[in-house]
Amino acid sequence: MAVLRAERTPARSAPLSETSVLGWLRKNLFSSWINIILTIVSIYIIYITVTGLWVWGVTDAVWVAKDRRDCFDISIDGACWAGVIVWLDNFFYGRYPRAELWRVNLGGLLLFLWMAPLWLPRVKDKIFIGLTTVFLYPFLAGYFFAGGDKGLFMQVMISLAIVALIGQTLHAIIGVSSGRGLPEYLIRLLGKEEASEARQRHTLLAILAGALVVAFVGQMGWSFVGVSWTKWGGMFLTLVISGIGIASALPLGIILALGRRSKLPVIRVLSTAFIELFRSVPLITVLFMATTMFPLFMPEGFVLNKLVQVIIAVCLFSGCYMAETVRAGLQAIPHGQYEAAHTVGLGYWGTMGLVVMPQALKHMIPNIVGSFIGLLKDTTLVSIIGLFDVLGMLRAVSQDIPWRGLHKEPLIFGAVLFFVICFAMSKYSRHLEVKLSAGDNR
Amino acid sequence: MASVDEQETQTQLASAASSEVIIEFDKVNKWYGDFHVLKDIDLVVHKGERIVVCGPSGSGKSTLIRCVNRLEEHQQGTIIVDDMTLDKNLKNIDHIRSEVGMVFQSFNLFPHLTIIENLTLGPIWVRKIPKVEALEAAMLYLERVKIPEQANKYPGQLSGGQQQRVAIARSLCMNPKIMLFDEPTSALDPEMIKEVLDVMVELAATGMTMIVVSHEMGFAKTVADRVMFMDEGEIVEQNEPHEFFNHPQHDRTKLFLSQILHQ
Repeated sequence: MAVLRAERTPARSAPLSETSVLGWLRKNLFSSWINIILTIVSIYIIYITVTGLWVWGVTDAVWVAKDRRDCFDISIDGACWAGVIVWLDNFFYGRYPRAELWRVNLGGLLLFLWMAPLWLPRVKDKIFIGLTTVFLYPFLAGYFFAGGDKGLFMQVMISLAIVALIGQTLHAIIGVSSGRGLPEYLIRLLGKEEASEARQRHTLLAILAGALVVAFVGQMGWSFVGVSWTKWGGMFLTLVISGIGIASALPLGIILALGRRSKLPVIRVLSTAFIELFRSVPLITVLFMATTMFPLFMPEGFVLNKLVQVIIAVCLFSGCYMAETVRAGLQAIPHGQYEAAHTVGLGYWGTMGLVVMPQALKHMIPNIVGSFIGLLKDTTLVSIIGLFDVLGMLRAVSQDIPWRGLHKEPLIFGAVLFFVICFAMSKYSRHLEVKLSAGDNR
Repeated sequence: MASVDEQETQTQLASAASSEVIIEFDKVNKWYGDFHVLKDIDLVVHKGERIVVCGPSGSGKSTLIRCVNRLEEHQQGTIIVDDMTLDKNLKNIDHIRSEVGMVFQSFNLFPHLTIIENLTLGPIWVRKIPKVEALEAAMLYLERVKIPEQANKYPGQLSGGQQQRVAIARSLCMNPKIMLFDEPTSALDPEMIKEVLDVMVELAATGMTMIVVSHEMGFAKTVADRVMFMDEGEIVEQNEPHEFFNHPQHDRTKLFLSQILHQ
């Protein structure tokens, strides 16, 4: 005999204990006697800690003083932020000449300008912009930071960088306003839409060549005072080292990971050995090796400055860590994807570049950003081998005669600084993940 | 199989097979480690011929068709596809793969690309067709598999049946000479099997050379020129569908047919 439901049941709202704040509190914090006690004790501990910190760091703190003794005279129990404030420029720029600080700021601003098109909607050719960021920006910024005489190579690279920056900024502006690209716009401007494709390409190349010549001539009359790398320091130096490490880690990691999964035994063994060697050694050892042992193997008279050695060491080290992250990402891609790519006729590079890597990189974002954050923090180790990065400067405060013995405050400031940067990176990675996984709910 | 009786009433498609040979297996042997998967396989497929391969799991039927576009390498014997011998010469393999379309049990669409991008990837990057033309052609094939409205969605947003139809369209976009189907309906919910089979029947009507690994006996009866039964790495019996189903010769075939028809 059939049993039938007489009518449809309408959906009802959930009970109050599921949705109200009071219901949540009762369920999570006050559900039993033990939970009630634990909640009260926890609240008490949090209260003591927070008020203690607040009184020490804010209400009793000294913000203006001429030295540490002065701080004590004003308030014996409070923090002495006056020292931190006096040293603030040193934390950010080290011993970089104060008159030239604008160059560092402008270099940083340029990076922002350079990468801004990557975040804008409707801009095409973002991969190209990403590539110029990695391969051209460092030359321009490097000259801003170091200054001095330009060799011919530097002059060419700087000209290229200037043309790229101006070109892609225009490209982005045109892209946002009209959805078109710069080349298309130029062709239209010159009234050559009707011309053949080869002709259009020649016109564009001529414009590019002209722009390069103008940039080259322009940059010849322009030079900065040289600033030796020994004067670089603070957060600026930390960001330079870790920035280059981060930028090179991903390409190097991808190459090494593909090498490790290669079918050719020589490439596989070499990649594996390289990765395992660098991964099994602490960064500090690699840094010492780079600065003390490496010059011994070089021919006499071959002098690389310490900063370059450190940067190379950091790049190799981070590249090897990244290689393992990339390899894990590659392993998460099912074999069927490779087969499907093969059956549409793609070869090795097509399969990797168009099908496997884009998917793998998406899976890897949390780990990639994790290792970037790790690298940023690890870079502080260079203070041990005598570079005055941000940690070096934070610790130098206590050696300064007026502020002798001031340890706590600069280090707390440093912790907050790192937290802000790392937390922002982590939040951004979360945002990227959500954005990239839109529509990808398989 | 409920669909068997229903489809039996359909008329069988006229054969499109010509005398031109497009695939030839000669004494092909393959091992996975110690396990002998393919044993002395001899097979000739003519242009326009439609073959349905059935057999118990592990009988080597998937391996057989995966040898045609060299997703699997064979160790002995020769395989000639479209007048080219499959050997270590990589150039041949890329060429043959672009001539042979393949549809998988698990669809294997590229999840990071939209449907239309899935379809144009091969034409643009392998065939080097201009993007505009590739898009036009892709839309045509999407219409042929009856889902043009899904063009800008991602594979994850489609049902299994729709995904498999996209997979078929993706292969067709490369203008293949041969289409291989590796259990195309085995991963689908029952109500979606028909929509995929319908597309395959229409494809068969265009004269495409097809090798289909499938247990859809209704489909085999409607479409196949030849039904092949494989067991333990051998082609045990092959015949035209009417004879194959009504008068199986070999005991192993009889046993297999009785098992799948009484599910």
